[in-house]
Amino acid sequence: MVKIPINILIVDDEEDFVEMLCLRLQDQGNNVKGVHDGRGCLRALEEEDVDVVVLDIKMPGMDGIETLQEIKRQAPITEVILLTGHGSIETAVDGMKLGAFDYLRKPAAFEELLEKLEAARERKADQEDRIRRAEAQALLRRTGDV
Amino acid sequence: MTEKRKVVEFNPMRSEEDTVRVLLVDDEPDYRETIGKRLRARGFQVSEASNGREALEALSREQADVVVMDVKMPVMDGLEALPEIKEAFPRVEVILLTGHASPEDGVTGIKAGAFDYLCKPVKLEHLMSKVRQARDKLLWEEERARQAEFRERMEQQMIVTERLASVGVMASGVAHEINNPLAIIQEAAGWIGNLLGKAEMADMPRKEDFEKALEKIFKSVERAKKITHQLLGFVRKTESISKEVHLEEFVGEVISLVEREAKDRNVRLLADVQPQCAALWTDPNPLRQVLLNLATNAIHACGREGEVMIRARQKEHETILSVRDEGQGIPKEDLYRIFEPFFTTKSPDQGTGLGLFVSRNMVEKLGGKLEVESQLGRGSTFWVKLPQRPDIPREDFPNDRGAS
Repeated sequence: MVKIPINILIVDDEEDFVEMLCLRLQDQGNNVKGVHDGRGCLRALEEEDVDVVVLDIKMPGMDGIETLQEIKRQAPITEVILLTGHGSIETAVDGMKLGAFDYLRKPAAFEELLEKLEAARERKADQEDRIRRAEAQALLRRTGDV
Repeated sequence: MTEKRKVVEFNPMRSEEDTVRVLLVDDEPDYRETIGKRLRARGFQVSEASNGREALEALSREQADVVVMDVKMPVMDGLEALPEIKEAFPRVEVILLTGHASPEDGVTGIKAGAFDYLCKPVKLEHLMSKVRQARDKLLWEEERARQAEFRERMEQQMIVTERLASVGVMASGVAHEINNPLAIIQEAAGWIGNLLGKAEMADMPRKEDFEKALEKIFKSVERAKKITHQLLGFVRKTESISKEVHLEEFVGEVISLVEREAKDRNVRLLADVQPQCAALWTDPNPLRQVLLNLATNAIHACGREGEVMIRARQKEHETILSVRDEGQGIPKEDLYRIFEPFFTTKSPDQGTGLGLFVSRNMVEKLGGKLEVESQLGRGSTFWVKLPQRPDIPREDFPNDRGAS
């Protein structure tokens, strides 16, 4: 199967972690960018098309859940995978109710992360397909009623 | 020089109603008889001696509470005998009877440890009053000693509890902090692994050495992960749920989870759930984790073969789950330590030493008790005792006076 590159944004206040994860995911054939806080995340979303955001729940300043809500406001079709330290599993589940795709406990197994990234990418792609078809239908309806 | 007497411990459990035992020491038998008769008439238990040496012998044969002793006696007088009595029988109170011309003997006596003194000739009422005072002092001191012992035991217990509590809090703080660098180590090591696998690295000198070292890093990260997950699970603030747990099904679940482990080691797993075991109201998740921990320990204890039995029994308002193994058993000196955090006899990559610490804590949070019985060479049994319903108050009887 041909690998479809995923546009990934990594958001975590641990810089070394972001750097390593970016390198590894890029090595897998994806387009990866890393930022270190919620504001950086929202700025990046304005500038580029991101398929999946990998988001740390516990960050100083704007925390994960706040950032998640902003992402869903700004770019609702972008998928979000939450990274949690232990005690915030309940928060991760809350996050899923707020629209996050899934979550992983830190330190996350790389293979698992890859699986979830691919699944998230697929879901977004499917949704975008549906949107395109719906737009086409809407266009037809406007012009075609002849 | 007189020989040293060994210290004789006083009988601690006496009450106000008990008869006061008086040892009357005087070299004049008539005097002794007169005083003795009147003391006995008023309910005192009286024994007699004619000098200091006899007094010491009498005290070692039969305990007394108060010694009424004349100062002027042959062989060993009162002032000589006094320090010996106080040394060998520290709880005996001594009342000295001094000649009316030498009250200074009495003062000397008090300085040497006598309770008080009276000048001869002695008014009986005064003597009895003094004896009762001496007896009261005795009872009061015993009570104080008991309370001090109780308080010390409580403090010891509190220190241990607090220490465990702060270990718990600190442990989770540390674990939390460590997760982040762990994640970085894992990613960085993974990245090195990725690089080593690339085509351009095919001919890299000593590649296997790098890969071997990397393997060790991955393994250690896994181990560290287990520790932090366990520690953090221990302090988890999840809302606890309370539901009806059907024991036969529950034990079955636990067994199926450890089946593989048991099979690998040729260990037989047996379940025995008493049919009349009522359903248990509790939080199944931590309970399952506890049983898993106990069952896994039991399987490991069996070594290369053996049997592990998981039982459920109903006793009055208590449900008792037990896990028994036929392993090597736990030596007595370790039995007190196995619930301590990080105490383990396994090698570092086999166990974190946290299982029982976390398990006991979980059982206590469920309102129960985790206990162990073990025999070297025969095996061990762990008991999880739970109230049938969490709201039924557990009655903790002090197992000895003063403890709680």
